[in-house]
Amino acid sequence: MSLNAEQVQLGYDGSTIIENLSVEVPMQQVTALIGPNGCGKSTLLKGLAGLLRPTRGGIELNGRSLESWPRRELAFEVAMLPQKPVAPEGIRVRELVEYGRFPYQGLMRGASREDRAVVAWAMEQTGVAGYAEKPVQALSGGQQQRVWIAMAIAQQANILLLDEPTTFLDWGHQLEVLELLAKLNREQKLTVVMSLHDLNQAAQFADHVLVMQQGTLLAAGAPKEVIETEMLASVFNVDADVEIRADGKPYCLAKGSMNRCRAPEWMKDAV
Amino acid sequence: MNRIGIAPLACWILLPLVIGLSLLLSLCLGAASLSPEQVFAALTGTGSEHGQRVVWDLRLPRALLAAVVGLHFALSGFILQALSRNPLADPGILGISAGASLAAVLLVVAGAMLPAGASLYLQGEQLLAWLPLGALAGGVLAAAGVYRLSGAGRLTPLRLILTGVVCAAVLNALMTGGLALWGQAHTETLVAWLAGSLHGREWHYIWVILPWTLLGLTGAALIVKPLGVLRLNDEQVLSLGVNLGRWRLLVLLVATLLAASAVAVAGPIGFVGLVVPHMARWLVPGALLHQLGISALLGALLVLVADLAGRTLVVPFELPVGVLCALIGVPAFLYLLKQQP
Repeated sequence: MSLNAEQVQLGYDGSTIIENLSVEVPMQQVTALIGPNGCGKSTLLKGLAGLLRPTRGGIELNGRSLESWPRRELAFEVAMLPQKPVAPEGIRVRELVEYGRFPYQGLMRGASREDRAVVAWAMEQTGVAGYAEKPVQALSGGQQQRVWIAMAIAQQANILLLDEPTTFLDWGHQLEVLELLAKLNREQKLTVVMSLHDLNQAAQFADHVLVMQQGTLLAAGAPKEVIETEMLASVFNVDADVEIRADGKPYCLAKGSMNRCRAPEWMKDAV
Repeated sequence: MNRIGIAPLACWILLPLVIGLSLLLSLCLGAASLSPEQVFAALTGTGSEHGQRVVWDLRLPRALLAAVVGLHFALSGFILQALSRNPLADPGILGISAGASLAAVLLVVAGAMLPAGASLYLQGEQLLAWLPLGALAGGVLAAAGVYRLSGAGRLTPLRLILTGVVCAAVLNALMTGGLALWGQAHTETLVAWLAGSLHGREWHYIWVILPWTLLGLTGAALIVKPLGVLRLNDEQVLSLGVNLGRWRLLVLLVATLLAASAVAVAGPIGFVGLVVPHMARWLVPGALLHQLGISALLGALLVLVADLAGRTLVVPFELPVGVLCALIGVPAFLYLLKQQP
């Protein structure tokens, strides 16, 4: 199994977001994609999911160009959870998770025994089995996100791409989602690629970190190789201390933004 | 396991009963009221000649047509609301009703302007025979234009709705203009048709719409599963292996044929396609298949009851069914809105 992009150019309707980027996604690992807003994280994820056709270069899954994969077969390999999915009005948890089985079902055929077993398993894994019959919209943000992850893993793809899975959640629910993904990676050998904003969470949960800046890949490697003071300054414009903790993971402590407003000269005299 | 809940089961049993009862009432009530015995006698061919004529030739086809037309509008509205992820979508929004209306007006106007060879009476007969087909073609053409303008395979639900609203406005303006300029002697007939009317609809109209009903129901059964998935985010739909462009087109086609064929025989009856899907979703939360079916039954019931009320409330006059649908449907809609958190 492999998923890699070779000198790829990605963009929308004539505007190029990503230029000449090459990356290999390590299989059966958790990869965190970090970088400032607008650097092309979402675009890269869409490219890797086959949702966006590269204007130059190529993306290959298992040695075969993504474009030559039929949609349905691709669905068996790659699942994607976008940044802010919206649940259809009134839909219940079980129905939504069942949509993950869509690629396996025919037009008229209902859920097979296997489909039902997988849906039950996915809800069990994500801890949403308890409210299978509830409307998704009645759940909290954290619960909803776990329902979406349940739907994605019911698809039983080998690779799961997530665009900022923690962005709209509080601290506790962020950790819950990340721990869930780490568990799925550990137990199901699921390859996880996700974009994250919290660098310490990226360091804690990812085996591999990709740093992006303005549509290019700046660095790739283990968290402690990649997350260091100079990178934080040049990519995020943040003045920070990085400490390597006992478990070998880096921990960042921000001291301040490097382009914060400074008082003009004349004011200094006045103070 | 997809267990059928209490609510859907109750709806599946009760609604057909209520529809049957309304159908019976439609056969009994009218300018000359008949007793249920007389109606049964007429249906079995043992009643008086007058009763036979009233029930078989006038009331039965009209009531059946009301139910079928209601089913069409409600199904089409439900499908369009799911497809566009917009609770305000209805057959009017794709320009289907406006396109059909424009075609009807043009047809009548063109008919009136043809060199006077046939007598006026004959012309009227021919026009009535051609009106449904012309309106159907107009509705389908309008929807095709909206589909094309909103980007065909690359359309987004929002773009579809906006293009539809704009096109409907233009088509309606053209239709009103045509009516004002050349309507002349036919204005009255056309205005009645445009209000949505089942007046004087006989078996001929049933045979016109029936093939589309069968086609539409088959189509709806085929698209219901992908339709459920199409309600998700585009990216999710694609990563579930669904060919987004192809299914969107098919779903639109089914909704268009249902709505255009209904407009063709009964005129643009508003509000059914807008209101009924909301009622269905409220009655049976969850499963899309149940909601779709219940929507169809509710639509049939609403138009049947509205037409019955329109025929019997202000005797000897008759209110167009479109007016009654709005009068019944809108308060129900407002009530549902209030119920929502």
